[in-house]
Amino acid sequence: MARFLLEVLTEEIPANALEGARRQLAAAIGGGLVEAGFEGISVRSLPTSRRLIVIVDGLDERQADRTERVNGPPLSVAFDDGGRPTKAAEGFARKVGLAVDELDNDTGPKGDYLAATVTHVGRPTGEILAELVPETIRGLRFPKMMRWGRGDHAFVRPVHGVVALLDDAVVPLELFGIFSGNRTEGHRVHGPEPFEIDRAGGYLETLEERHVLVDPEERRRRFAARAAELVDEVGCRVHPDEALVAEHVELVEHPGLLLGDFDEHFLELPREVVITTLRHHQKCLILEREDGALAPHFLAVVDRCDDPEGLVRQGNEWVIGARLADARFFFDEDRKRTLDELVPDLDRLDFHRTLGTVADKAARVAELAVGLAGQLDAEIDPDELRRAARLVKTDLLTHMVVEFTELQGVMGGHYLRLEGAPEELWTAARDHYRPQGFEGEIPHSALGRLIGVADRLDTLAGLFGVGEVPSGSRDPHGLRRAAQGVVKIVAEAGWEIDLGEAIVRAVALAADRFETDPKEVTATVTAFVADRVRRYLIDIVGVSFDTADAVMAAGWKKLPELVARAQALEGARDADVFRWLALAFKRVRNITDGQPDGTVEPELFQQAEEGELHDNTVAFARKLGESLATQRFGDAFAAMAELADVLEKFFVEVLVMHDDEKLQRNRIALLKTLGREFEKLADLSKLQIEGGDG
Amino acid sequence: MLDLQTLILSLQQYWADAGCVVQQPYDVEIGAGTMHPETFLRVLGPEPYRVAYVQPSRRPADARYGENPFRLGRHLQLQVILKPSPENVQDLYLQSLAALGIDPAVHDIRFEEDNWESPTLGAWGVGWQVLLDGMEITQFTYFQQAGGIELAPVSAELTYGLERIAMFLQRKDSIYDIEWGGGVPYGAVRLEDEREASAYGFEVADVEMLRRHLEDWEREAERCLDHDPPLVIPALEATLKISHLFNLLDARGAVSVTERVGLIGRTRRQAVRVAKAYVAQREALGFPLGNVLEEAAD
Repeated sequence: MARFLLEVLTEEIPANALEGARRQLAAAIGGGLVEAGFEGISVRSLPTSRRLIVIVDGLDERQADRTERVNGPPLSVAFDDGGRPTKAAEGFARKVGLAVDELDNDTGPKGDYLAATVTHVGRPTGEILAELVPETIRGLRFPKMMRWGRGDHAFVRPVHGVVALLDDAVVPLELFGIFSGNRTEGHRVHGPEPFEIDRAGGYLETLEERHVLVDPEERRRRFAARAAELVDEVGCRVHPDEALVAEHVELVEHPGLLLGDFDEHFLELPREVVITTLRHHQKCLILEREDGALAPHFLAVVDRCDDPEGLVRQGNEWVIGARLADARFFFDEDRKRTLDELVPDLDRLDFHRTLGTVADKAARVAELAVGLAGQLDAEIDPDELRRAARLVKTDLLTHMVVEFTELQGVMGGHYLRLEGAPEELWTAARDHYRPQGFEGEIPHSALGRLIGVADRLDTLAGLFGVGEVPSGSRDPHGLRRAAQGVVKIVAEAGWEIDLGEAIVRAVALAADRFETDPKEVTATVTAFVADRVRRYLIDIVGVSFDTADAVMAAGWKKLPELVARAQALEGARDADVFRWLALAFKRVRNITDGQPDGTVEPELFQQAEEGELHDNTVAFARKLGESLATQRFGDAFAAMAELADVLEKFFVEVLVMHDDEKLQRNRIALLKTLGREFEKLADLSKLQIEGGDG
Repeated sequence: MLDLQTLILSLQQYWADAGCVVQQPYDVEIGAGTMHPETFLRVLGPEPYRVAYVQPSRRPADARYGENPFRLGRHLQLQVILKPSPENVQDLYLQSLAALGIDPAVHDIRFEEDNWESPTLGAWGVGWQVLLDGMEITQFTYFQQAGGIELAPVSAELTYGLERIAMFLQRKDSIYDIEWGGGVPYGAVRLEDEREASAYGFEVADVEMLRRHLEDWEREAERCLDHDPPLVIPALEATLKISHLFNLLDARGAVSVTERVGLIGRTRRQAVRVAKAYVAQREALGFPLGNVLEEAAD
């Protein structure tokens, strides 16, 4: 079994491009080889910041031979009376490349005919790879492509060398004007001399000798081990940051970390400022003490294994010190003015070219929030709310947030707190961007929730209004997350508002900014939000998808009620009686769909079962009314289950489609009344019950 | 200790030895070395070229009254253009650091993705910020487009932030403490004009006059471009004036949101016309510096 090694040596590839490259390479090379008939191979794709690598194990020397049965003319035509081959036989033999006496025959439904077994000899593996590899590499797609030199080729970064080895033999191929060979180089600092790779087999070890760790998992392990060693020196632990560690793995060929210190005074800055300063520009991890308090130490990623003269540490400490001093400068500058003083400047800040400035947006958000507060009977002064809707956006004008956009909200919270603003207000500034989608907690205060929901509804209404809607994986304005945030806050804050009405109002407030018909925009936003509500029920509340569909069909715009109803149905639906009920409901539906409404006239009842069903329906309607008013949906579904017996008897004993039209209309009206009561809870026909349409 | 002027002289000498024309700063106020015609125009068309120069770069909105130890309203860039980008451009760059006494064997040097875009110039490129022991010392860009024109050949642009490098090498905590040369500190040379430029840009500049001049220079750019044949350099200079006046207005807080988008678009329109006119002019001249694409095709 042979091993194939491909290494494409490049200039530094962006960290965010490597994961995609890894996936595409493995899929294309693996897929191509399987298609060519190679079985039982294993494909690994292991890129570093300077190389794309593929290793394939378990390759045969050549493609497997393939045999094929080919049918020729009937024997009666292939041989003459004397048994000698005719022209037809000779022609067939020529076609399959065999002599006539190498042919044999098969029996088919129409008699015997001439046949041949043709063998397609597999091509040498190297030949297959020489075609597959260039095609694959040229077909790779990166977030951003570039050209270089004469500008003839487009790739993620310029290519400098190609190693293509099948065991010890070079697979000759060409990529971007470079011919494959067996020469490469090691780590930029620790092993820059070019060298030859003798065999594909020893590649990982050879590269490691030259300080390149090809396997990302190995780099991750080394990082973790080194970090553990270093934090031990100062008795701290790493402030966890999975995303940053994942990026470190892609940034270097040799996973080096160094420990540095900074002036303790910088810890007087808000915690998020210190963490973000280290992370944003320097991609440094910060350390914390056992109680979670930050410590004046950091871990910097370096692409080398040592620091021979201490210059690397010294340099990194200097830069971190400078960055933190810069952050402190921003902080001190920002503190010279109150956020109130910045409010007038909001009209210098663009929200969207058609939807206006942040001041325009804040004004819409304020009105929307005041409306919501009114519906909720929240004890919030409308003028305070209007002021807050503007104040929470002013941190966008501070030096700190201009520098670190990711601190929006957080800084507003800190600055207002330091100004002595009430907790309700500063937490609203801090929290109103939270949660991000379904992730995280909802804002702490009623004020934060009101502004958070209003802000997102305005964003949704406005951007849908100007047609900038998400498509596929593209959602540049984060509208899915915005809608998720609305759903999560409204549901978990227990707001009994009609979400549909809130959307209508948000669209109305923004409608003079766009030309699309507001009704159309409302409909699209409503459908978009409904999709998020459904996902919320499934992913967060944890009900099955058909439970979600069933309860949403009975109305979905009051979320806390919807959630309780969904949970109640999810709890009830597995009982046998309920499964029967779901099927019966479908039957009721089938009978009554498209029939005119009518009033039930008890005097027309002919059979006891009719009266019984009628009495039970009336009783159920009363109980349901009480349960709905008190939101005891469990009771409501239990009452529904109690109807099963009566309904079953009715279906067995009573002929709904009676010849007497009066009787028929009356029976349909009875079933329809029952169906309407059921539908206040859920559309049971959406439930996927085994035995389905029985 | 490497002072600022020795830093500049060393880099200029190094790049001269690497085949660059050593040019001088452009004598019109500009925001970045990229706007110098030796970059913005030379990267267009098929002619090979190598150039290095220092460009004082004016960013009125970045001025901080001399109070922020890291930020300046006018800073120095050393800009290198290598066209077409040579195969060994990264090595050439690393050797330039060696010329400054920075030995890669004892430092951590990394190339981290950082792309560049200038909507005003209709230009963008792909590349890295070069980090030396965690400090960003150079912007390294493969130019993909300029003046709205796709570039082939592609130029490599290296932009050294000189004050930052000097601060780092001298381990100073403030730009104003850098040694410029001959024992003279940077602050003694520059601090007062940073203060004045801040006061002017943020408080004093006459908004009405700036607006008027912006309109004037815009018309002038159009006139130069409408001239037969188009006057490329005068048109570019007028466009650079527009860009600088825009930056001043912006620092002064006089540009509204909608106006900003409009002004950037207007400047880009001129830049795109200038670029087209330049390519036509060089073609008419028969590409006096040669044609990379034809040479390689022979």
